Amino acid sequence: MAKQLTPFGRFMIVIAGLALVGYGLHRYGVLGKALKVLAPDKKAEGTVSRDDFGASAVPSGPATTAPLAAPGGSRLKRPIKVAIVTWGGYAGGIYANNGFPPNKECLFSRDFGVEVELIVIDDTGKSRDAFRAGGDHGGVDIMWSTVDAYSLEYGELAVLKPKTILQYDWSRGGDAIAVDGSIHSVADLKGKTIACAKETPSHYFALFVLTQGGLTNRDVDWKFTDSAIDAANVFKAGRVDAAVSWSPDVYTAAKERPGARILASTREATNLIADIFVARGDFLDKYPEDARRFVAGWLRGVDLANKNPDKAAALMARSFSGVDLDAAKGMLADVKLPNFAENRAFFDPKGSLANYHTIYKTAQGIWRKIGRLNNVSEPYQTVDTRFLEGAAEYFPQAAQAAAPQQEFQFDTPARPSASAILSKKVSIYFPTGSSTLDENAKAVLDIQVVELAATFGSAYLRVAGNTDNVGSRDANMRLSRARADAVARYLASRGFERNKFDVVGNGPDRPVASNDTDDGRAKNRRTDFEVIPR
Amino acid sequence: MKIRESVTQATARQLALAGVATFVAVWCGLTYGGLMPRVILPSPTQVLRAFPYLHEEEALVRSAGYSLYRVTMGFALSGLVAIPLGLLMGTYPKVKHFLSPLVDPLRFLPISALVPLFLVWFGIEETMKIMLLFVGTFVYLLPLVVEAVENVDDVYLQTAATLGASRWQMVYHVLVPGSLPTIGEALRVMNGIGWTYVILAELVNPKYGLGALITVAGKRGHVDWIFAGIIVILVIGVLTDQIIRIVNKQLFKWSEG
Repeated sequence: MAKQLTPFGRFMIVIAGLALVGYGLHRYGVLGKALKVLAPDKKAEGTVSRDDFGASAVPSGPATTAPLAAPGGSRLKRPIKVAIVTWGGYAGGIYANNGFPPNKECLFSRDFGVEVELIVIDDTGKSRDAFRAGGDHGGVDIMWSTVDAYSLEYGELAVLKPKTILQYDWSRGGDAIAVDGSIHSVADLKGKTIACAKETPSHYFALFVLTQGGLTNRDVDWKFTDSAIDAANVFKAGRVDAAVSWSPDVYTAAKERPGARILASTREATNLIADIFVARGDFLDKYPEDARRFVAGWLRGVDLANKNPDKAAALMARSFSGVDLDAAKGMLADVKLPNFAENRAFFDPKGSLANYHTIYKTAQGIWRKIGRLNNVSEPYQTVDTRFLEGAAEYFPQAAQAAAPQQEFQFDTPARPSASAILSKKVSIYFPTGSSTLDENAKAVLDIQVVELAATFGSAYLRVAGNTDNVGSRDANMRLSRARADAVARYLASRGFERNKFDVVGNGPDRPVASNDTDDGRAKNRRTDFEVIPR
Repeated sequence: MKIRESVTQATARQLALAGVATFVAVWCGLTYGGLMPRVILPSPTQVLRAFPYLHEEEALVRSAGYSLYRVTMGFALSGLVAIPLGLLMGTYPKVKHFLSPLVDPLRFLPISALVPLFLVWFGIEETMKIMLLFVGTFVYLLPLVVEAVENVDDVYLQTAATLGASRWQMVYHVLVPGSLPTIGEALRVMNGIGWTYVILAELVNPKYGLGALITVAGKRGHVDWIFAGIIVILVIGVLTDQIIRIVNKQLFKWSEG
């Protein structure tokens, strides 16, 4: 007796048939192949390692000093609009403007004849939207960026012909990596989860610290969040092993999570995250005189804020919402406000060891390597120093003075108890039995170590010589120390204080590989550069 | 044009096409005519060119798949919770009065404020994303379900009572079938709301996702990617909407609407 199938029964048969066919396709790999065509995966990320940083330590490219044509042109009839975020680095401008809104009772207006409006836009994307709109159309003329992030976003903004006109701060403690108690150095981060906001200074800071510590970007499990605050919060909640974020959130998170600590911050990596102002090309073309006065007024504000930090903090507390006086003082302590002379050295490709050009090139190389960037720009295309140079008349003493002095003093030797944040292993070849550096070895130091030493401006660098076990231990001890000393002396000649380097000869005592093979012995003949916080 | 005049299907289709054509024409005029700078409004060609790139390099299809999965899960979950709860509240006013001070204010819940909380509660993987979409749709769905049950005409209940139906029979044979067609419509609306929250849900630790793609595009200033992402969301939204509409029609044949 044949029974009619119910619609439900027919439906089930069709489903079963589809499942069978699907399984067959999967079993013979058709499904996988089809998936690759129909839904290709993202392009794989490249790998960055220690060799990708510092490759630009030797400045290259044409000099930036454009002809110092006195900026003229017509004058702006409205306030200059500047996008900023809640951050301590704006103290100079807030001082010069006596707050955020444009007004006549301030340094900008009285001494420099410009009106400035500081607009807080904490969301990075929205501040870029405002920059794209432009000051004439409800947006802004000038926006904040960092050199590392600017190298990434320049290509997309290039149609606006944006130019960097000023460095307003170095992050000095403002960015930090908080880690779980089980992590003692960068090497321990291998295989751990690390939260940060993607393609931000936090991300760049993490890449820098990881690679200098001998890891690559692929050695950690990235958990990207939308904002730095989210990264700090997921860390605080115990969801990740490490997080890179900003002050004060990252410090609060490290304090509130039991056993957590700060692994590294820009207090040691002093010359890595440079905050800059970028102006629209049409604004600079039309109102160069206003731009020059803006730069000059801001730098005058920097001088005053550096002299009266308490007043600067009070102004910041009054202006930023949700920031009280203590918080404002903390924010100010996490940045360094460079003055006119320091700005000049920063934008000179042959000025400071870590300058705009080196950081831009290095950062651009990193973003390209991990596949975030396709187009390349030369740093000198992205900057315009005419306004800074034009401001010289307001700073006659600084303009004539020699290059700025060493910022950090190393009067006392490094504390022996201090543990290293990271250890960079570099192979430097010496002739057998000799401690003389040849040109090749010097080039290796220039490329591999100078930028590391310059970036960790406030930290000591322990130079530890290591040998293999061939020959007597005594001779090896002596030789390793002499070689480390030669390295330190050469580095000092590149513009560092000699006391920054703590020389150690380990001889054959700290092998990283077996001394039984040629390969292992070659690995053991190396110099370790350990970053020691002061 | 007359007020509420009847329009034939052919005319309706022509009008819809004309509407789209006008939109595209204005877009072309603004961009190719040079009235709007390309960094603010990309041209149609730019947006079309973004598709192959997004497909090859940024896993557009996978992203669409993941977003579809998250929205569907959040939407299914909110249906699973809101429909029984709403039936209960619509059937028994005492339950409703007990719960409404807790549930009614939820409609004013700013979902974006929940993101940091949910990160801490549900972690940074899929659970958090689906929970966010669940809450986002649930708070709208529940009142609609309650209303649907309450709007079932008393005449049906009285008829059933006269015919000697038990309490269970009145719920199962009168209130449930009476309210389901309206609930089906409500689910269609929820599908739409789910897609509006997908950007928020995919802010944190997204491996793939259309919302994440659009967020990244916004940060990096790829206006053309944003348009491409929005177009994909709109297409998926309209398609899923049609599917739900057809399923509703098949399932609830007894409703005239």
